[in-house]
Amino acid sequence: MADTPVPVTVLTGYLGAGKTTLLNRILSEKHGKKYAVVINEFGELGVDNDLVVDADEEVFEMNNGCICCTVRGDLIRIIGGLMKRKGRFDGIIVETTGLADPAPVAQTFFADEDVKRATRLDAIVTVVDAKHLFARLEDSKEAQEQIAFADIIVLNKIDLVTAEEADAVERRIRGINPYAEIRRATKSDVPIEAVIGRDAFNLERILERDPEFLSGEDDHTHDDAVMSLSFEATRPLDPEKFNAWISDLLQKKGQDLLRTKGVLAYANDDRRFAFQAVHMIADGDYIGNWKEGDPRRSKIVFIGRDLNRPQLRRGFEACQVPA
Amino acid sequence: MAAVTEADFLLAQRGTTQELGGWVVAAVFDRTGVLGFALADGTLRIGDITAAAHDGAILSACADGKGGFLTGGDDGRLVHTAPDGTVTEVQKFGSKWVDHVAAHESGIRAASVGKVAHVLDAAGQVLKSLPHPSSVGGLAFDAKGKRLAASHYGGASLWFVAAKEDKPKLLEWKGSHHAIAFSPDGTHVVTAMQETALHGWRLADGQHMRMSGYPGKTHSLAFTSRGRWLATSGAESVVLWPFFGGGPMGKAPTELAGGDEVLCSAVACHPQHEVVAAGFGDGLVLMADVASGKVVPVAPPRGSAITSLAWNANGTRLAFGTEAGLAGFVDLTKR
Repeated sequence: MADTPVPVTVLTGYLGAGKTTLLNRILSEKHGKKYAVVINEFGELGVDNDLVVDADEEVFEMNNGCICCTVRGDLIRIIGGLMKRKGRFDGIIVETTGLADPAPVAQTFFADEDVKRATRLDAIVTVVDAKHLFARLEDSKEAQEQIAFADIIVLNKIDLVTAEEADAVERRIRGINPYAEIRRATKSDVPIEAVIGRDAFNLERILERDPEFLSGEDDHTHDDAVMSLSFEATRPLDPEKFNAWISDLLQKKGQDLLRTKGVLAYANDDRRFAFQAVHMIADGDYIGNWKEGDPRRSKIVFIGRDLNRPQLRRGFEACQVPA
Repeated sequence: MAAVTEADFLLAQRGTTQELGGWVVAAVFDRTGVLGFALADGTLRIGDITAAAHDGAILSACADGKGGFLTGGDDGRLVHTAPDGTVTEVQKFGSKWVDHVAAHESGIRAASVGKVAHVLDAAGQVLKSLPHPSSVGGLAFDAKGKRLAASHYGGASLWFVAAKEDKPKLLEWKGSHHAIAFSPDGTHVVTAMQETALHGWRLADGQHMRMSGYPGKTHSLAFTSRGRWLATSGAESVVLWPFFGGGPMGKAPTELAGGDEVLCSAVACHPQHEVVAAGFGDGLVLMADVASGKVVPVAPPRGSAITSLAWNANGTRLAFGTEAGLAGFVDLTKR
């Protein structure tokens, strides 16, 4: 059936950060929408109208040549079931457990053909606790990854920290992921439109937002293993060279590359090419023409671990057509 | 199928269709020959009767032991519906979905809820609850109803239903396994995998059988009546693997009714003859004779994928259902 794919919001965040509070807010607000919610434990969810699905986080390896390609097997099964009831709800919200790596959830939406056909990933929303984030980042790899993967970060419990502390936390988040939108909140009080219906994985909207760095202080005062790098190329790219380079890079370095996004200007082509990847799984397409008079600059962003800046820069720049 | 007009399809002369308005999860003939369609709106349609079997979606359905239908739903219930539409709750398992059901004519039943496959008697009592390492992807009894096979991540588990001590024979193969089938003689088990391939085990010696090359996932697989062929969906034709003459190892599959560049979405084998009914992603239904490769068109492509096909016990009626809720059957009795 050629219906519109159902949007899926992935909600991550460390235990106690305020995920359930946010979920309750989304579900209890009078928005006239109906959601299917996939959770791992029935908690204190106030659900009347919505469909709640009790899931086990079952992370499966896919034997498709990607060594790091893992998917959520339970989600494939659940979405298969939910899709048969199409029209009965407006969106799906997947809540992960506090310790979850967001990659398998995100990859499920690119790796499984049935899921891909029926749904589209809307955004990854990560709730963080302003007071305890520093401690979490020290003791947990997942806390860093949840921030690295996020499109929207709800910086919660902002009332429990001073203005200086709040800025420091925000800087730390920016150091890991300057591309996510940060929403400060108390008791997860963000408007529902801020987290639902964001269409953040739409290729047309990739890199639409400029990175945000708070001025005044060095962003790299902390040594988080996860960081982001971005590069620009002023000359058009040779598509064959770029494909060869990015395929090789994702194959070899995919485990460390959490998210990759790019908007590319190919030589002798008026169309913009958008590209994104979650670890090794890549997705790309043309997204319409460059605007008349706009500079045709290719841009690529990596969020990941142990990234070698000079090497990546050289690799990307070598994809340009000769001057 | 370009040269075929609507009137050439068997449905036009020998068929009946209905718009049921919900995704057809399964077309099922019960053991007395009554046809029911299990829908994702929770109802079971038997002729003009609408039985409200589940509060939610029906996730799987099969013919129950002696008669009537057995369904599992996302309301956590296992339900029996009689041919007259009377609904009886067999068991309620809580908040988790009842994903898969199976039943044998002896009256024994199985229902999977997450990682657990429950075995129930004809009265609905849970006889045993069999745990698996991950969620069960499919359930099948052997022809005698003595063994139950359950697929899951990492392979399949084979249980003796009447065993005093429940220790499964593990059929291991890396990857996530879904649809599962026993060969009619009980010597082979085959699963469909997440990785667009099938995997089989010869039970006598554990010989592995890898069957790959599918462009899509196989959702439907069935052995022909005497077990010589395994018919499968997931390709742009009906792919049949030979289970004779040393196959399927080292043998190429036979492909029938290909050429339209539309994936086959459902198969059902005739209960007596080596004839396979196949449904496609565009709604086309046809029958193919395995030996001659001759194809007979049954229902024209109307846009919505065929989700389920079923033959009645003597092979005189073939039923089908689609994602959009069109359901029908053709009567093949001699006139």
